Amino acid sequence: MMERYNVSLKVNGELVALNVRAGETLLESLRERLELTGAKEGCGLGACGSCTVLLNGLPTRSCIVMTAELDGAEVQSIEGLADGTDLDPLQERFMEKGAVQCGFCTSGMIMTAKGLLNRNPKADKGDIIRTMSSNLCRCTGYKKIVEAVEAVSSMSEPENK
Amino acid sequence: MISSEFKYICPKSIEEALERFGEFQGEAVYLSGGTDLVPRMKLGLKKPRAVIDLKDVASMSTVAEEGDYIRIGSLAQLFQLKQTDLVSNRFPALAASLEATSCETLQVRGTIGGNLLQNTRCLFYNQSEFWRRSKGFCLKMGGEKCNAVPGAKKCFANYTSDNAPALCTLQAEVAFAGPNGSRRFKLESLYTGRSDDPFDLEPGEILTDIFVPNKTVAGGYEKLRVRGAVDYPLLGVAFSRGSDSGRLAVGAVGPRPYTVELNEPAQDAMGEAVATVINQVKTVENTVLESAYRKRMIPVLAERLIKKVMEGAE
Ligand SMILES: Cc1cc2nc3c(=O)[nH]c(=O)nc-3n(C[C@H](O)[C@H](O)[C@H](O)COP(=O)(O)OP(=O)(O)OC[C@H]3O[C@@H](n4cnc5c(N)ncnc54)[C@H](O)[C@@H]3O)c2cc1C
Ligand code: FES
Ligand code: FES
Repeated sequence: MMERYNVSLKVNGELVALNVRAGETLLESLRERLELTGAKEGCGLGACGSCTVLLNGLPTRSCIVMTAELDGAEVQSIEGLADGTDLDPLQERFMEKGAVQCGFCTSGMIMTAKGLLNRNPKADKGDIIRTMSSNLCRCTGYKKIVEAVEAVSSMSEPENK
Repeated sequence: MISSEFKYICPKSIEEALERFGEFQGEAVYLSGGTDLVPRMKLGLKKPRAVIDLKDVASMSTVAEEGDYIRIGSLAQLFQLKQTDLVSNRFPALAASLEATSCETLQVRGTIGGNLLQNTRCLFYNQSEFWRRSKGFCLKMGGEKCNAVPGAKKCFANYTSDNAPALCTLQAEVAFAGPNGSRRFKLESLYTGRSDDPFDLEPGEILTDIFVPNKTVAGGYEKLRVRGAVDYPLLGVAFSRGSDSGRLAVGAVGPRPYTVELNEPAQDAMGEAVATVINQVKTVENTVLESAYRKRMIPVLAERLIKKVMEGAE
């Protein structure tokens, strides 16, 4: 009984049709079928955040979501953030502030930050620390990551600079 | 990847969900946000023949005042729930426990129903199949021995819902729809007291709503964990206080929350209440913190919390 499911998704603005086993996760669909390898598999159990993408605009750990549940959903991954060669301000600030070392956590960090700023464009340092601390980074020590997100958040509020 | 094979089913109503459940002779599971279920399926701890997704059952996601109660649909997302005025204004203990649950990204997906019905956890149980097979299956996996307490004949896995203790102090009730009809009872009666099989439910019963008595009660929640973010509770203490009595509930140190009533939430009554809880609790070496420490932290967190709530209420 190897049942399969037809799922249509909008991934980074493009419609894709998938045919999956029930047990396939969104992270696998992205990485292995759509060759979008920006989202990373760290723990595979929802604990580290390296697989975070936006699902219908909300930050979601794609390793613990089944693709079969997502018919009609919209997914944005790190690959869909830049507009051509124009990077997203978050990507720019992560580079500028040196918020990247090995890079394994980075796409998850950026997508988590994107989710926060979509919801709360004026997130302050406390909000940023609370949200970002749920993602594991084994290299940077978080300070620069928080600074990078802060720089983008305050961009919408120049008087606070 | 979830390596076992199963059917994915997405019914549109409670009736349809119950009917589909019936087709699999007890070998189906319900899915809400999946943040507890999917990791367990990935580890091979659960291998159902069907996963029945409740997401499209619209009637189960609303939060509303209903006479003497606030009705919280079981599909209400934790993140959305903690920002609902009805909850944040009236039930500070619940608002605090929601805030302390996992992290924002998981709160956005996790539901309150799934939170209450999450399975019990143990350092020796929530592991890969390879790991568990090497160690030898424990009682909760149908094996002969407990891997946490050598020689033990019962399971000691912990029920780690952050929100159940808070809801117990608020005297919440839970409503289920099942193949044999609907029923509603006190949340405290949901538990068997057995770690290997924590819920006293009939096969196929669906948690539809949580009812919280509609009155504003002062309260709070304190959580012991190693990291400030994401971690499950290693101990959770909730306290709610009405005009002349209070309730204290302690979670994550056994198969269910332990609740005591304080007739008069004054200093000496408090000591007694805390002692009543401690006498029921048996912590063992099945988390990342030493069991004696977790137990000793019960009075510490309880006193801190009660003091804070009493001062705030004055
Ligand atoms: C890294 C990580 C950290 C976490 N930290 C915490 C924490 O700090 N505190 C905490 O409390 N939890 C924590 N959790 C557990 C989980 O995220 C939450 O408990 C969440 O609220 C579960 O809700 P869900 O909707 O995702 O449940 P699901 O996974 O969908 O369901 C949980 C269980 O309930 C059953 N079920 C779900 N809905 C119903 C229903 N309506 N009727 C009958 N049965 C149903 C399912 O079959 C399953 O067995 C954590 C999880 C992860 C992965
Ligand atoms: S890989 Fe998904 S949370 Fe760690
Ligand atoms: S940069 Fe290496 S894990 Fe974060």
